[in-house]
Amino acid sequence: MNPKLFDGKVQQVRQLTPRVREYQLTTADGSPLPAWTAGAHIALHLTSPTRGLVVRHYSLIGGDGLRDDPPNTYRIAVQREEHGFGSNLIHETFKTGTPLRMGPPVNSFALDRDASKVLLLAGGIGITPLVPMARSLLRRKRTFQVVYSGRCVEQMAYAQPLKALCGDALRLQCSDSDGVLDIPALLAQQDADTQVYVCGPTPFINAAIAAAQALGWAEGRLRSEAFISSVLPGDTPFKVLLKKTGREVQVHSDESLLDALSQARVPVFWDCRKGECGLCVTKVLSHDGELQHRDRYLTDEEKTQGQSMCLCVSRTNGQSLVLDL
Amino acid sequence: MNAIVDPSIIDIENPDNFELGGFADHTTALIKDCWYVAALTHEVSREVISKRLLGVDVALYRTLAGKAVAVRNRCPHRSFPLAKGKLEGDVLVCGYHGMAFNPNGHCVKMPALPIVPTHADVRSYPVVERGPLVWIWLGHPDRADESLVPDTEWLANPQWRTVNGFFPIQADYVSMHENLLDQTHFPFLHPGAIGTPEYARSKLDARMDGDAVVIDRALLNSPPPGVYAMPTGLTGKPVDRFSEARFVSPALHRAFARIVDNKDPSGQPRTYRFNITHIFTPETNQSMHYWWFCSRDFKHDDAAIDEHLSTASAKAYKEDVDALEWIMDNILKDSEPQFDLHFAPDKPGLMMRQSLYRLAMLEAGQPA
Repeated sequence: MNPKLFDGKVQQVRQLTPRVREYQLTTADGSPLPAWTAGAHIALHLTSPTRGLVVRHYSLIGGDGLRDDPPNTYRIAVQREEHGFGSNLIHETFKTGTPLRMGPPVNSFALDRDASKVLLLAGGIGITPLVPMARSLLRRKRTFQVVYSGRCVEQMAYAQPLKALCGDALRLQCSDSDGVLDIPALLAQQDADTQVYVCGPTPFINAAIAAAQALGWAEGRLRSEAFISSVLPGDTPFKVLLKKTGREVQVHSDESLLDALSQARVPVFWDCRKGECGLCVTKVLSHDGELQHRDRYLTDEEKTQGQSMCLCVSRTNGQSLVLDL
Repeated sequence: MNAIVDPSIIDIENPDNFELGGFADHTTALIKDCWYVAALTHEVSREVISKRLLGVDVALYRTLAGKAVAVRNRCPHRSFPLAKGKLEGDVLVCGYHGMAFNPNGHCVKMPALPIVPTHADVRSYPVVERGPLVWIWLGHPDRADESLVPDTEWLANPQWRTVNGFFPIQADYVSMHENLLDQTHFPFLHPGAIGTPEYARSKLDARMDGDAVVIDRALLNSPPPGVYAMPTGLTGKPVDRFSEARFVSPALHRAFARIVDNKDPSGQPRTYRFNITHIFTPETNQSMHYWWFCSRDFKHDDAAIDEHLSTASAKAYKEDVDALEWIMDNILKDSEPQFDLHFAPDKPGLMMRQSLYRLAMLEAGQPA
């Protein structure tokens, strides 16, 4: 099997907004990294002094303006979240030269090369996969518009470089001054052959999906990045009892069950870390709270039965879980 | 016991070691951001085929609507060659676990899972068809500008009659490009066919045109070489010859030749034109696919001329192929290092090597 991780280091750090920093990551030995296309992301494998392995996913940006970064460089942008363990770890520890490991690029949000007209719709830090899409569309001289909503322009990463690149094709919607973006109205204005790519916080994406459904749009005309976060605001800590080994592992409110088990060196299989591949599905022997299934792998029936769960994205709001591990 | 050295394994030059003004050879990284010919149009059909292009195995097929499709010939799940699978409508189904991909490379089915995974796409490559050629872009798809496909309109233009052929070659494409910019070898490697001693000594004018290298040559009042003499019917007759040989891109060399008979029986000078098209797609750093086309703008319906041009061209190009394979073999197997000598007539070849080297540097992210 190919090694799936590349040894790298932080090459350059740039503050984009009060909460967002851009990191240029490069390989430790200068060798080139795999090529990727707009919409792709990578997994960063970080080591926390307290938690051990922490894996977070970030979209690839590509370069300044229309210039590409060298083939040994990936560029990401990380927004510091109040309850985000990974983003805080990155903001606190990433300096020029910090070693890290990164996975190969994966694209679950690919831009359709044949699309004639495109609307890129971003909410906040959801702009990150859409930046390389805008660069791709510009290079290929396609008709497109970017609608980028956020609180105020000072807090909107890449607002200025996008303005320079896209000119009038960029619409900035600042909720502080312009009010909240009317997504249904925006979608209703689109030509029949416009494809829409949306990325942002879950409520933003859900609003766009609902609006597209209300307009009777064909499936696939609006595409969104599957939300890759194992932890959501409001998640609570719980204990996991491992039946076969008799061990007990604590899962913090800001870490995933899979991360907690990896930290405790409990061997489990995993691959996609976003609830699709089904490799980390584990038998649940008992639970005292509700199981919060956030995967796409298990059927609704299996989720209701509550006898198994995806360790990478799912958790419980109870005090403890007993797993067949 | 000595370690077993596999001469087929070439160390590709580390891009960090690039030096300004360097010359490409068989160890230089291949240029990916370029249109290459993947196949002739008739080769791409509802039967999935595969070819290794620039070191990457590519599967080629046509949709029901007739559009040529190129995807990586390697399932993202367990590396099964997708060309060994089958087409169901426009969907390519892997022969191992039935994973299915649409023409964009997007996974539309994974039978072993209750869902379709969102990240399981196979890479698809931009493809453009022009006349008899299927062009593919193996570099970054954003840079696949169709206006960069080199012009070969004469291959589809009814004013031209074309004969063609193909060779797989166990040699690097750089030396093949050099061979075609090196007109001093003609009378020796191809005696009697495409070069005359006068031609070898005639002054040439080589120049850069962007990344391209162009050689203009004029040889006045001299009999045409064998390959052109029979079709024009001008054997032994002094004519004026004008030629432009052009290294167009890593994928293409073309040679336009004009033979002007100033003493045509009509009383007016008569011009005979030949457009020779050489198309190269590196298979690896040391092997290539080579398609040649010989087009003429006169006597379209003369089967004897077709036969003559076909046979004479294939013979001459086979001589080139043999020479380059012998040279590659020497380079790979000879243990004593050698630093090849260069002479004035090698300048066009060196210009081309420098151009390829600069393109490789740019792709490696080095300022060139």
